Amino acid sequence: MGRFSITRRNFIASVGATAVAAPLCTPAIAQGVKPIKIGLVTSLSGAYAGMGESMRAGLQLFLAEQKNSFAGRPIELIVEDDQLKTDEGVRKFRKLIGQDNVDFICGVISSGIALAIRDVVAESKTLTFISTGSANDLARKAASPYIFRPTKTNWMLGSTAGQWAADKVSKSGCLTLAADYAAGREYVGDFVDSYQKLGGKVVKQVWAPLGTTDFAPILTTIAAEQPEFIYSFFASGDAVRFLQQFSDFRLGGKVKLVGTGALFDQEDVLPAVGDAALGGVSTYHQSPTAPASKAFAETYLKARGRLPGEASSSGYATGQVIKTALERVQGDPSNKEKFREAVLSGATDTIYGPMTFDPRNNQAILDIYVNEVRKGADGKPINTVIHTFKQVKDPGPGA
Amino acid sequence: MLMKVNARALDASESSRGPRSPLQRAAIGLLVAGAVCLPLLGSDYQVRFVAEVVITGIAIMSLDILIGYGGLVSLGHASLFGGAAYAAALVAYHVSADLAIVLLTGIVTGMAVAALVGVVVVRTDNLFFLILTLVTTQMVWELIFRSRELTGGADGLRGIPPLRLHLGFAVWELSGATGLYVVAALLAVGCFLVAKAFIAAPIGRALVGAREQPLRMTALGYSIPKIRLIALVVAGGIAGAAGSIYPFINLYIGPSSVHWTLSAMMLIALVIGGVRSLYGAFIGSAIYLSFQTYASSYTDRWQLVVGLVFVLTVILMPHGVAHALQRLSGRFMTKNGGPS
Amino acid sequence: MAFYLIQTLNALSFSVLLMLAGLGLAVVLSLMNFVNLTHGSFFLLGSYIAVYWFSSGMPWWLAFPVAFAATGAIGFLLDRYPFSSFYERTHLMQVLLTFGLSVVFADLMRWQFGGDVAAPRIPDVLRGVVFILNIPFPIYRLFMIVFGFLLAGGLWFLVDRTIWGAVVRACVTDRKFLETLGINTKTVFTAVLALSAGLGGVAGALGSGMLAAHPGLDEEVLLLALIVVVVGGLGTFRGTIISALLLGFSFTFGRVWVPEYSNFIALAVMAALLVLAPQGLVVPKLRRV
Repeated sequence: MGRFSITRRNFIASVGATAVAAPLCTPAIAQGVKPIKIGLVTSLSGAYAGMGESMRAGLQLFLAEQKNSFAGRPIELIVEDDQLKTDEGVRKFRKLIGQDNVDFICGVISSGIALAIRDVVAESKTLTFISTGSANDLARKAASPYIFRPTKTNWMLGSTAGQWAADKVSKSGCLTLAADYAAGREYVGDFVDSYQKLGGKVVKQVWAPLGTTDFAPILTTIAAEQPEFIYSFFASGDAVRFLQQFSDFRLGGKVKLVGTGALFDQEDVLPAVGDAALGGVSTYHQSPTAPASKAFAETYLKARGRLPGEASSSGYATGQVIKTALERVQGDPSNKEKFREAVLSGATDTIYGPMTFDPRNNQAILDIYVNEVRKGADGKPINTVIHTFKQVKDPGPGA
Repeated sequence: MLMKVNARALDASESSRGPRSPLQRAAIGLLVAGAVCLPLLGSDYQVRFVAEVVITGIAIMSLDILIGYGGLVSLGHASLFGGAAYAAALVAYHVSADLAIVLLTGIVTGMAVAALVGVVVVRTDNLFFLILTLVTTQMVWELIFRSRELTGGADGLRGIPPLRLHLGFAVWELSGATGLYVVAALLAVGCFLVAKAFIAAPIGRALVGAREQPLRMTALGYSIPKIRLIALVVAGGIAGAAGSIYPFINLYIGPSSVHWTLSAMMLIALVIGGVRSLYGAFIGSAIYLSFQTYASSYTDRWQLVVGLVFVLTVILMPHGVAHALQRLSGRFMTKNGGPS
Repeated sequence: MAFYLIQTLNALSFSVLLMLAGLGLAVVLSLMNFVNLTHGSFFLLGSYIAVYWFSSGMPWWLAFPVAFAATGAIGFLLDRYPFSSFYERTHLMQVLLTFGLSVVFADLMRWQFGGDVAAPRIPDVLRGVVFILNIPFPIYRLFMIVFGFLLAGGLWFLVDRTIWGAVVRACVTDRKFLETLGINTKTVFTAVLALSAGLGGVAGALGSGMLAAHPGLDEEVLLLALIVVVVGGLGTFRGTIISALLLGFSFTFGRVWVPEYSNFIALAVMAALLVLAPQGLVVPKLRRV
């Protein structure tokens, strides 16, 4: 018998072979059912507790919309609190990696914590998405092929603000005032660099220690100096206090206020200061009135009763990035190189706008919006987009 | 004559004198067995966590010297521990990450900071001492926070080279969980023996005397500020030794390690574990850090839980777990007719 | 010239804030020798009450008595249990108990009020500025200065010039002897603690216009209050007021001249004061055995 013919023996052999081979195929099928574990590390206690809760809410909202499944695989979300302490953040990362065996980790509000976990993640080759921590070093010296940054760097906000201020506000009479720590120094430094390159003149640089309770002496100094505008950065509680006391001293009408987005964060700051923030201009990668973000803003408003700010948007956007990348690898993140290529391979549609990544450092390239705080239709202040800097790219390693 | 009487009276009030009871020996045996098994059975994460608990425990134990034996409630320990940690990290960066060098740097820094702070604080008492140590710690924090070029400021120092030990030709990498754990355990034993020796020495007795009978001690010609300064420097040395290993656990050190809230955390852990027992510090460190890490995984309200536990401890077990255990074992022994 | 005048007013308003924060603590410490670290929690609660009261439409000036009553009531309950058993114990034990409770309270408040920063809608009559030689100064701060000094004055009068104050002071000096006179010292202590808690609440309500209520404020304020009280000396109010003024002015003018180092300077001033006057600025005349 030279040619193969369907004899009874061959038939039994082929059935037998299929029967043996079938179980070997089931892992591929079972993988479609095995959940993907995502760890979210955020600050649920401490000074940024409000932002941490918002980030969690944003991500959970996205998961709910996606019916808890990305690329056909169910998602198991493990939320951990870093308590805004670096040691705790590192411990939680190790726990998620060593004990819970997560596939991805995302989150992290504080840049300090983001920098601290960089080596832990690089060592264990865990795919990490830093949702909010934005120190410039994260895209430069501390970049790692395993860390993706679907968010801005401080440079992106500071330098665009400098451009805007030089073009549209004034080339002279600028006073900078910022919280005196790493973030504040970076924002102001980058702002001054780009502002001065376009011919702007900075009159004075004032620094307030972190956690300043009383801005009165500084505000009186400002009232005496009479600058044309101020470039400022404060976050969270400091921002609320500053804006309130700024308006207390009736400086709102006299001095224009330009800042980074965190100073006028839609969720974290504006609800508390109300009208005191009207007229403030800021550069941010997030805005409730940005076209890409409109639908999310409405859903979030319905779900939590207020418009989203950076923290909640970052949670949602991170979810979007992970989902899109997973879809590109057919739901299988086990090959980390392939996954990384998938993230870098094309633009992801996020609520920030189109997001591409710089392959040198996995840093997102984003549209930066210039927001002005105006009175919305419901009488409440809302960040309104008045200009967009398209696809701003951080200078990256070696800058 | 007077001194001898006093010494004996003080002796009687201290426990753990004389030969160890069988129960205590069993407890120690169990501890050693557990300590040896852990790196073999536990996961990388767990072993590292225990190493961190032990390192923190050493620092807390040195705080016990001040609080338990010296009666000096200090919120300044973070400046000793964290200051040494920063010094060790910087030395590892710029000079060498050799264990001997790092430890030496830590101990010297701890003692130096303790001496500097001590000169300022030893003449105050009680609440004033508490606030003054808090203020000095915050001054150290401000210095470290401001020196961005040197210490990284708010971002802290990362990229610290891993710890290693040069012994002649052999070079041991100590950066893994097991390596750190072994270093921590050996350091803990060493520091415990040093602390015990200090307490038993005349200077340690004088410290206790300064707490219990300051007027008499002064009348006897002792200089209480000098005794306290020495105690502070010794505690600083031990805390510095622990602090020098700390940056290598996470290959990162940040300003939160010199913040007064870390001092407060050590104080809380010490009280939970048991003041005036030296080993209670490790119990307290284990309980507090476990709570902080694990409770927060289960509930958003973990701070409430920790606070309640702490309040209950203060109300029901004011002498901490260590002394509660001692009382239990004492009761157990007397029930069996053995020595109490 | 006007600049320094305004800065002086700024310093005064900050000093008043420190003073208000410290007074409640000073009351308990100097009158009862009890270290109460839950004081910051009372302040924060008072702040939250003011925030909600101001936006609720009810008469604004009622916010302060309401804050006083609410926090005073909690102080009353706390005295019943567990504070009363701790009055005789060492400072360390008191510190530990009240610290633990403050952690519990902080979390309860965060649960109830959320993690966000809550700033009050300042009542219209207190909004606005007065212009002193062309430089603006908020009316609310003037209100704070006046109210603060009135409060401090009233307290001093109460403790120093009334019979009730005399009873309290006698109670601290020699409790057992006072009992023989038929006065229930337990009630006295309860009243003092409730008063101190209420003071903390009012201070918080007043300070909310400047500081805004948020988690973590209790710790910040407690720290300031503790430093003010300890530096001032534990025996009298005069010490607290003097140290509040000293610290308020060094903070403020530090921020005017060297804003980056203002914290360090303020800390150095505190340290210097404590070293130079290890028993506090104003030492009560005590008999020493």
